Amino acid sequence: MYRIKLEQFEGPLDLLLFFIKRDELEIKDIPIARITDEFLDYLHYIEMLDLDIASEFIVMASTLMQIKVKMLLPKPFTEEGEEEDPRAELIRQLYEYKRYKEATEEMALMEDERRKLFFRQNFLHDEMENIVEKNDALKNVTLFHLIAAFKHAIENTPKQTFHTIERFNVTIDEQIDFIQQFLSEKKQRTFSELISSMREKLRIIVTILAMLEMAKNGIIVLRCTEHERDLWISQNIEPSFTGIISEQFSLN
Amino acid sequence: MFMSEPQTEAAMTTAKHIIEAMLFASDEPLSAKQLLEVLNQSYASIETTAFTVEHILEFVAALNREYDVQQRAFHIIPIVEGFQFATRPQYAHWLGELFKERIKRRLSSSALETLAIIAYKQPVSKPEIESIRGVNADYVLSSLLERNIITIVGRASTIGRPLLYGTTEQFLHHFGLKNLKDLPRLREIEDLMKESEMEVEKKILTDALQSEKQ
Repeated sequence: MYRIKLEQFEGPLDLLLFFIKRDELEIKDIPIARITDEFLDYLHYIEMLDLDIASEFIVMASTLMQIKVKMLLPKPFTEEGEEEDPRAELIRQLYEYKRYKEATEEMALMEDERRKLFFRQNFLHDEMENIVEKNDALKNVTLFHLIAAFKHAIENTPKQTFHTIERFNVTIDEQIDFIQQFLSEKKQRTFSELISSMREKLRIIVTILAMLEMAKNGIIVLRCTEHERDLWISQNIEPSFTGIISEQFSLN
Repeated sequence: MFMSEPQTEAAMTTAKHIIEAMLFASDEPLSAKQLLEVLNQSYASIETTAFTVEHILEFVAALNREYDVQQRAFHIIPIVEGFQFATRPQYAHWLGELFKERIKRRLSSSALETLAIIAYKQPVSKPEIESIRGVNADYVLSSLLERNIITIVGRASTIGRPLLYGTTEQFLHHFGLKNLKDLPRLREIEDLMKESEMEVEKKILTDALQSEKQ
């Protein structure tokens, strides 16, 4: 495969014009099969270099392949009874793009020429008198300025941070009820399951207190194993037994 | 109209110097209309005929002739529908050194391309720009808006009512243009097609010549 010098192409149309110019091809008689191959080669090359291919290039690749296929099929007739050229739209696009591409080059030259000129500058404007009367200052205001000014004003308003303190009452008794209901569905469940629906820290803390209270009173049994970080909670089937069971550590 | 009611020579010279002073003191282009307004105001009390745009043009030309004769490093150039003092291009190198940090960046090629489309087709919407360039224009448009080279001029009446973009005075200034008519003519597609035909003919001819030589 030959190498293409990696130029900065402005887009797929730019790349196509590059191929056309390099190979001295004609826009209005663009050889679709050849240009499609070149275009795909280029995309593969970009891929090899592990660069991102802009989606526009992929769209163009598929457009080219579509035209290539249409070229092989019998062509529909236009209203004037002529064969429709499947390339017509692409050719129009290329010409249109080329017009502006040329204008771009001229404008770049104009920009260069203009950059050679220097104007009087660094005027220090003092606070103006009669700013309303002399509304020169307002003459170039556009919608965009208004948007920018609004954005600036919003961004520069002193930051006021509000903290909302929400009081919520969770009692140990409520959480004891909650745990009992929780265990009525299934005999043995984990602690993480128990608190999975809780968002507030305080509620979790109260739940833990409730759980400990229940364990102390022999209503539930808590177990943990060596390998799991979680706690297992189950109803105490033997009410005489109180305490927390650990299979690893004994509570002395 | 010009000179139909002759001003005294002294009054003309004074007026010319007032124009020179105004342009010298201004940090942006002043239009003939702005210059006239001030000039005629100060003459309103005196019994003289009002000055016209033609007078202004003549004063600017006369001033420039003086600067030429004296070989000044600056002159008055027509720009953005008005006039402004500017240094001559041959001093660009030294001024560039002096204002190294302050020189405005060149526009990127994608910005130039987008700008060309806007300049010639304005008012133009983003979808139109994108369909010509074949690439997304979001980023370019926002950076051009930020630099105040283009602006939003309205909304199209088509579906979705897309925003329409146009160029600003800043655009004219950036490219050293008097007005939009100052832009080089955009070539017609037919023109481009003819040219490529000619190139092919030329190529056939030169190929033929070469094979003859061999």
